[in-house]
Amino acid sequence: MKSIIFILFSLPLFITLYELFILENINDPIKYIYTVSGATATVILFFTISISMIKKRVNLIKYRKMIGLFGFFYAFLHLLNFIVLDAEINFAFILKESFEKPFIYLGMIAFFILLFMAFTSTQQLFKKYNKYHKFIYLALILITIHFVMAQKSLSIIQFGYIVIILFLGYCKLLQQIIKKNKI
Amino acid sequence: MNFIKRKTWQISENEVTSKELFDNRRTFLKLGAASLVASGSIIEALAKDQLPVQNLKFIKDNNPNNLVLNTYEQITSHNNFYEFTTNQSRVKDLAYTLNTNNWKIEVDGLIEKPVTLDFDDLVKKFALEERIYRFRCVEGWSMVVPWIGFELSKLIKYLKPLSSAKYIRFETLYDDDMFPDQARTVFGAIDYPYVEGLRIDEAMNELVIMAVGLYGSSMPKQNGAPIRLIVPWKYGFKSIKSIAKISFTNEQPLNTWQKENPKEYGFYANVNPKVDHPRWSQAKERVLGKFLKQNTLMFNGYEKEVAYLYKGMDLRKEF
Repeated sequence: MKSIIFILFSLPLFITLYELFILENINDPIKYIYTVSGATATVILFFTISISMIKKRVNLIKYRKMIGLFGFFYAFLHLLNFIVLDAEINFAFILKESFEKPFIYLGMIAFFILLFMAFTSTQQLFKKYNKYHKFIYLALILITIHFVMAQKSLSIIQFGYIVIILFLGYCKLLQQIIKKNKI
Repeated sequence: MNFIKRKTWQISENEVTSKELFDNRRTFLKLGAASLVASGSIIEALAKDQLPVQNLKFIKDNNPNNLVLNTYEQITSHNNFYEFTTNQSRVKDLAYTLNTNNWKIEVDGLIEKPVTLDFDDLVKKFALEERIYRFRCVEGWSMVVPWIGFELSKLIKYLKPLSSAKYIRFETLYDDDMFPDQARTVFGAIDYPYVEGLRIDEAMNELVIMAVGLYGSSMPKQNGAPIRLIVPWKYGFKSIKSIAKISFTNEQPLNTWQKENPKEYGFYANVNPKVDHPRWSQAKERVLGKFLKQNTLMFNGYEKEVAYLYKGMDLRKEF
């Protein structure tokens, strides 16, 4: 099972590398890497919060950490693309952009939440810090805003994604209410 | 002395066709044909079988700035044409629904007499020229395109607007049978028809062309067939595609992107590395097909030709 998840979640990376370096048919590589890494990270991270909701049907709880780390990995690629290819490792420029542009700092804050979670996902540290892993919800909200801001205008498909995200948020809220009141 | 005597039937070495050339004899023939109509960069691409048939007669651009052309493939497979889709690489697959037969351009507003221009007649009226221009999109990507077209100033003189006309306004065709996103009404990406405009003195600048083709052949549908505007010193969204209406007005037209998001897109939209977009820096650009960025030039490298138009204007405010 672990290897199946591993292969499945590595696919976006390998498809991207294949298109960039074997097919060489990508016109705007930097933007393409942004889109693929960003969208993949977003989908995976929203999937991680859905695992607890579907556990009665499919129990993936024990793979949740691994899946979450995959989400972090794609978010890291997304940031790496910004630092290396887009900003050309110009740290003065990166800092300036990060403090100046809401679009950038929302993404940065979300990334640092994910970084903290990835760092404290080891068995030892998780015991101590798992209560702070609730910050994933804040990160997901920021990611959603970042995703909407990144578009010049929302296409009908992207509008559909937003609806799915809102629906997931609604389900999550219901789940919490049920849990709290032990219905 | 030891002479090598050549047999009478042997031809001398310099008469032998090189193996390379012989193997590529079809290409060689095509090159011969191409050289009659095209410039060097085009011949190269043509030889590689990557270009459509050249069907336009035009005055060549000798490319004095030695700009490196993007390939026909790149130019025609990376398009912002929201009437079809917001997905840049999908436009070319959807654009077949655009029907350019009997294309008409309505001209109205502050003009001696409103007319309807027929595209086929219009193209015959003006000598076509090749213009190799940089093209810079507001999103941060760029390319170099060998457009074919005629100066907008010639068309304006021909149309004879009134002296009270201070602006020229353009509209893309509105036809929801041809453009799927227009059929989505409220769910469309932007408001249609797409509108753009220029100040008359900008429009009269000799760099501005009405483009009817690229790489020596008619304008591909995804690039705004049959006729589009090209304003090389402004962000790409000013260079409106598939023009169906031209109006002369005395007030500044509200262009589509300014209407959509006035904080991010202005009327002037001059390429300016020093004025950032609210979400990203405009100091550099991503040339299509490249991983590394290059510096963006003031007015996209046409400062000498156009700076006079904006004397005394605050380009931060009038972005």
